[in-house]
Order: sequence, then C-alpha cells, then structure tokens
Amino acid sequence: MNHIALKMLMGDTGKYIGIVMGLTFASLIMTQQPAIFLGIMSRTYSFIADVGLPDIWVMDSKVQFVDDIKPLQDTELYRVRGISGVEWAMPMYKGLLKARLTDGTFQTCNVVGLDDATLIGGPPMMLEGKLDDLRRSDSVIVDIDGARDKLGKPSPIPGGKAIPLKIGDNLELNDRRAIVVGIAKVTRTFQSQPVIYTTYSRAKSYAPKERKLLSFVLVKAKKGQDLAELTRSIREKTGLAAYTQTEFITLTYEYFMHNTGIPINFGISVLLGFIVGAAIAGQTFYNFTLENLRQFGVLKAMGTSNWTLLRMILLQAVLVGSIGYGLGVGLTALFGFAMRHTILAFKFPWQLLLFSGAGVSLICIFAAIISILKVIRLEPAIVFKG
Amino acid sequence: MQIKYTLPLLAVAGFLFATYTAINSNNPTPIAEAITEPASAPFKAFIAGAGIIEAQSRNIAIGTPLPGIVKAIAVKVGDQVKADAPLFYLDDLDTLATLAIKRADLTKAKADVTIAKATFNDAKSLSDLAEAVTDRRAISAEELLKRRNAMLITKARLESALALVQQAEANLADTETTLSRLIVRAPVEGEVLQVNIRPGEFAPTGFLNTPLLLLGDLNQLHVRVDIDENDAWRFDKNSKAIAFLRGNRSFKVDLSLAYVEPYVVPKKSLTGDSNERVDTRVLQALYRFDRKQLPIYVGQQMDVFIEARDYSTNKDSENSQNDAKGPSS
Repeated sequence: MNHIALKMLMGDTGKYIGIVMGLTFASLIMTQQPAIFLGIMSRTYSFIADVGLPDIWVMDSKVQFVDDIKPLQDTELYRVRGISGVEWAMPMYKGLLKARLTDGTFQTCNVVGLDDATLIGGPPMMLEGKLDDLRRSDSVIVDIDGARDKLGKPSPIPGGKAIPLKIGDNLELNDRRAIVVGIAKVTRTFQSQPVIYTTYSRAKSYAPKERKLLSFVLVKAKKGQDLAELTRSIREKTGLAAYTQTEFITLTYEYFMHNTGIPINFGISVLLGFIVGAAIAGQTFYNFTLENLRQFGVLKAMGTSNWTLLRMILLQAVLVGSIGYGLGVGLTALFGFAMRHTILAFKFPWQLLLFSGAGVSLICIFAAIISILKVIRLEPAIVFKG
Repeated sequence: MQIKYTLPLLAVAGFLFATYTAINSNNPTPIAEAITEPASAPFKAFIAGAGIIEAQSRNIAIGTPLPGIVKAIAVKVGDQVKADAPLFYLDDLDTLATLAIKRADLTKAKADVTIAKATFNDAKSLSDLAEAVTDRRAISAEELLKRRNAMLITKARLESALALVQQAEANLADTETTLSRLIVRAPVEGEVLQVNIRPGEFAPTGFLNTPLLLLGDLNQLHVRVDIDENDAWRFDKNSKAIAFLRGNRSFKVDLSLAYVEPYVVPKKSLTGDSNERVDTRVLQALYRFDRKQLPIYVGQQMDVFIEARDYSTNKDSENSQNDAKGPSS
C-alpha cells in the first residue's frame, strides 16, 4: 500500500515538486527570519557576553540596558571591593565618543576603558598586537570591523574600498591623540559602532569632562560564593544594581523586546511565512488528494479500510513535509554560511530547528486532516460516476 | 538521476548541514584573561581602599623665603641631605653690593668716631687747661664757659658717632641675614625626591602647584589609605591590614597603623589628576610597613584591604542586641 501511496505522490513530478517547494518556502521563512531576529537580538547583549571573566556587573540602579550608561562615583568601586565574597572588583568605562579620522570626518565610537593594571574586560580575541600594548602611552585597540570599514582611511580612488586602519595609525578622540596598537575581534553590537579599547584612566581623559565617569564595576565572586547571595548583598550595601552576567543579558534583551519594534516586525514575518506556507502547501496537497480521489475510490471499492487509506495519506504528508523541511533548513544554513562575513545578523541555535520543524509539522497535519476528511467521507461509487 | 531520490537526498543533506551550522555557530566567545591577576582580600569581611605611598615626614615641598633667580643647585635628585644642608642658592650679586656699601658705612662711622674722639680730646684738654688756672683773673668767665661748652658739645658728638657705628653694624647684620636667606636649606634630614628648578630660573615665593624641590624622609614609608565616608563607620583602628602592589599581586605587605587623620577630607589624591572630579569625602588612615619587603617608590598607588567586622551575616546577633535594648525597640 505504501508503494502505491508513493507512486501516487510522485506520479506527477510537477505537482510533487509544487508541494515540496511550498513547504520548503514555508520552512525557509520560518527558519531564516527567526534566525535573523535572534541574530539581531543577540547583538543587543553581545558586549556583555564578550566580557566573560567577571561574574557580576554592578551599575546604577536605574540602568535599563547595556548602552544606557548612568555613571557612578569612583569611590563606589572601593565600596564594592569591600563587600565580603568579592574576589576582585574592577572599573570599566563605556561610552560613545567622537573620533576624528585623518580625512577630517567624525565617527562615533564605542570607547571601552579597562582597569589600568589588570586590563580586565578586554576583547575576546586579539588578531594583531597584544592586550599588554595598551600600557603604552596614548594606545588604543580597535575592533577589526571598525578598522576595516568605519574608521578606515578613504580610498585614493573615489568610491573605492576604504584602506583599513593598521597598527601605528593614529586617531583623534576628543582632540586627544590615540595610537592604534592592536586589532581585536569582537562580536558585533546592535548599533555596529566601531569599538575602541583603552585603559580606564585614558578613557577618562578622552571622555568629556563630567563629574562621574565610572560606567560599570566588574566583580568576580570568591570561589564557592553563591552569586545570588552576593548580588543581593551588593545591592543592600551599596544601593547600586548588581546583576550576574545572565541577568544583565536578560535585562538588556527584555528591554529591546519591550521597547523596540523588532520582535513584532519579525513576528509578523514569521507568521506570514507560516500562513503562506500553510496556504500553498495545504492547497496543493488538498488539490492533489482531490485529483487522486478516483484512485482512492477504487481502493475503497476494492475493500481497503479507512485506516489504511489514512495511513497512506499520512505517509505522503510526512514525506513531503520532511523533504520540504530538510530543504528549507538547509537553504537557511546555506544563506547563513554565504552571509557569514557580512554585516547581516544571523544566529542559528538548535532550538530553531525544533521551532521550524514544529511549524512544518503543523502545516502538514493541517493539510493531511483536510485530505483525510475528504477521503473518509468518499463514497466508493464515485469511481463509476461521470 | 531520478527526482524520487534526488529530493530526499537533498533534504537529508540540507538537514545535516543545518544541524552542523546550529552546533558549530554557537561556540561561546573565548574569554579574555586578565593581564595580571588582580589583588584580592585575604579577609572574610573587609574595607577596600586605594593607598598612596608617602614619606614618613610627608613629602615636603620646599619653598624659598625670597623670590629670585636661582644661581646654583647644591643637590641632585636622590641625594641624601642632612638637616640645614644647603639645597640651592639664589642670585646674591645685589645683596653683596649692598653688603659692601654697608661695610663702607661702618668704616666711615668708625672713622667719624675717631674724628669725634680727637675733637673731644682737643676740647677737653683746652677746657681742662682753663679749669686748671687757679687765678680767676687770668681768664675771663666767658672764655671758661666757651671752653667748657665746647667740651660738652664734642662729647655729645662723640656719643652720636658711636651710635652711628652701632646703626651701621646693625645694617650690616641685616644685609648679612638677607644674604644667608638667599641660601635655601633642608629643614630636616631626608632624600631629595624631586628637583623642579634649574639655575637661571626664577623661584617665586608662596604656594606652588609644582614644588621647587620635594624632600622626604624615606627611612620609613607610610601608605595613606582613603576610606570612603560611607565605609568609615566600619573602620577599626586595631584590625589587620594588607597592601598589594599594583601590577603584581605577589608583592604584598602587612601594614600597621601609624595614625588616623581625624579630619575627613574631600577625596583627591589618588588618581593624581589635578582636576579630580570626585565629590565624596574620605577618611585617611596612615599605615607604616617594612620598606625592605617591597620594591616601591614614593607616590605609587597600592590596593589596601583592612579587615572589618562582618555585619552582614550576624543579623541574628543584631536582632538579639535590639531585643536586649528592651521592649521600646
């Protein structure tokens, strides 16, 4: 019987490909759009994820997300250091400063100031130079994307590619000299601004004059210390907000979820993909069943039970569903692979495979149920009509 | 090739590639390690503060009593100087000239005394001669009076000349004092930490942002620890303290309290930035330590941890204290 079912399905190549294409398309949209959505959302907290060493981030209690800097007094650092259970606490400056490039254009950059002695919170991967080089005077480390693109020198040919920033080149940050001593690889951030790493005291001199300049205190807990308890005791003793790395990521993520149009835009895309996929696949599958109604009638007349017919339709649905799904996720992965060096945000976690799998299954079940209803209600006599 | 097999095969390949991507693309980003391990407190409950190294005598910014051009500098940076040793000399040509004038004035005054003495002797002898005449008829009363008065006048002149000598001597001493004030001397024994002035430069009086010369007694060093006013209540004079050198936490030293400055000051010293923008006040505690244990310089910053009572975990005891106060609480 299964053999007949497959014969029926693949008998008409055009229709067969039509059904598979519909499902492939639905699966592609249901995987690729959420992947881009997740990619963009993961960029909102990529800075926090990149700074892997500290356990806890301490900041002003009114901070809403990672780029919402509300600076603290420098002495807060020592108050945090004085809390039991704290292994160490280090200052970090993070702010947007204007860099003046050699051709005179201005570029807003994300400047990160690291503790002068330990340089904790540095970039995850150095491509050129060493993190130590930040100890040299006026030195900064620039991220590779920024160095290649936004901070690059203009091309000698008009309209050509910018010449990337190299070690030894200089910039001007707020009228002060900065020398590039290293190129780092960082995860792109949401605003995709160039990231410039320097020491905390130098960042303070680059920053415009403000009374408070300490953005974050990075805390490492003592071994065996319960993080939840430590964050609570930091909050109690200093009145500041303290989050573990995951809590801070969630805070930032939630802020973007609730305060930007990103989730609803992508939600609509995914929903449309689902509806269009369901409509195309469902309709083609239903049409296919209608056209094969005579064959089903014959089978029914020959005494085949409803159960067997149902199994045949299910087999057909599962087959086209799996092929469409496999092709769809494969195309998505290919898309991600092709775009891996571009600015496109793309994140493909395994949960997404389950999500689109569930979506395609729903479409298939929906299409199968309509067809099954039609076949079960079918009178075998139809074969002899017309 | 049949479509029967092609599509399922493509689908399987697609699924496998997607699985590979899902597994492979979500590697966590590597963690950037610290360049040097940061110092961490060896106590359970503690106060952390930044410390700055200073000489036991504090760092003395040497000033000059008189403004002037520097003629010569007697010391180099790092020299050990005894108390009262000359540090630098101001230009003294002007004062030397004045000194010569004052000396001449003295000589002149002394010469005037000699003249006055001679005149007095002359008048005295004439007067004595007249007084010695026994026969009053031999000399007129007027002549006698004249001689006597002449003697008295010349005596007064002699006394005036002697006073002028004293005045000239005082003037000379004044100039000599000025001359000695043109040599700036070390007020205490110590080491020259900084020399910010060179021969030919003008040394002004008054408070200077950059001291002309910085002097300190380095036999014993102190570390001045800033304790945030919010933490000041937890500070206990008798508790242990440890200081760590920045940059390498294996250099650490036990501290013993020297004294606490009872006046809470606005925080400023620690970043060394002249336009410090922090508006909190800090309690300053000074600790002494064995200098031989650390390769350290005056003015260097250290991370200091002071042991404190653990107030967080003994909430129960606080409650019992409250209970002990009676039903009113």
